Amino acid sequence: MTDDTRNKKTQDRPSGFGNPWLQLGLSVVCVLVSEFLLKRGATDVAEPQSAFSWTGINGLASPLVWWAILLIVASFVSWLYVLRYIPLTVAFPLSRVVDILVPLGCWIFLGESISALRWCGIALVIIGLALVAKPVAEIEERL
Amino acid sequence: MSFLAFFFIVASLLSFVVAQLILKRAMEVSATSGLRNSRFVSLVAIGVALMTVSFFLTLGLLQRFDLSYLYPFQGLSVIFITITAAAVLKEKLSVRLTIGALLISAGIVLVSLS
Repeated sequence: MTDDTRNKKTQDRPSGFGNPWLQLGLSVVCVLVSEFLLKRGATDVAEPQSAFSWTGINGLASPLVWWAILLIVASFVSWLYVLRYIPLTVAFPLSRVVDILVPLGCWIFLGESISALRWCGIALVIIGLALVAKPVAEIEERL
Repeated sequence: MSFLAFFFIVASLLSFVVAQLILKRAMEVSATSGLRNSRFVSLVAIGVALMTVSFFLTLGLLQRFDLSYLYPFQGLSVIFITITAAAVLKEKLSVRLTIGALLISAGIVLVSLS
């Protein structure tokens, strides 16, 4: 894909609820909540002794897992929409903001403590996200 | 980590990365030739199938390991997808994007180590 076609696509992108950046945000929130639900659900029905449970299918016994699946389907629809407008090299690294939102969520809402090393990791992710997001912001400004 | 655990972690990561590439390809097809064509439908179907495989393998892993233990491997997916998207989908990969992706991965690993 050349620069011209990519810029044209960015120009064509819809605003409001159809804004791909808003959809990327929605997708991230759905994944964030589903991660907590999945971990809780999987732990509730865990059978580490059985070899069949490597397939994860026994996880379907937990209602929390079904709620998580619902959220994953929602995030998937937003994500497909995002992929239509944003290159994967930009969208995917940005979507991993969820990996620091999980520990931050535990800190803010559950009162868990965050060690110095963990703060360093969170800082690295934020700097990385800024680096990935910067060229995008410049493209948007030019238009 | 047992060989079995390693195998399932790699399998879930690999199916996830390939699914993302196929889905991105599907949406590129849809941008030029619309949603009602067999190429788009089959690409999305393969992508969804791979995502499903990755989902259930992850669910199996979550029953055995802490979320924080499985996190670094999710961090690796950022590197894998950035590299393969540039190589396979011919997306432009600037130095800035590469450094950004590396920092995000390193940060995720640090978060899970602590």
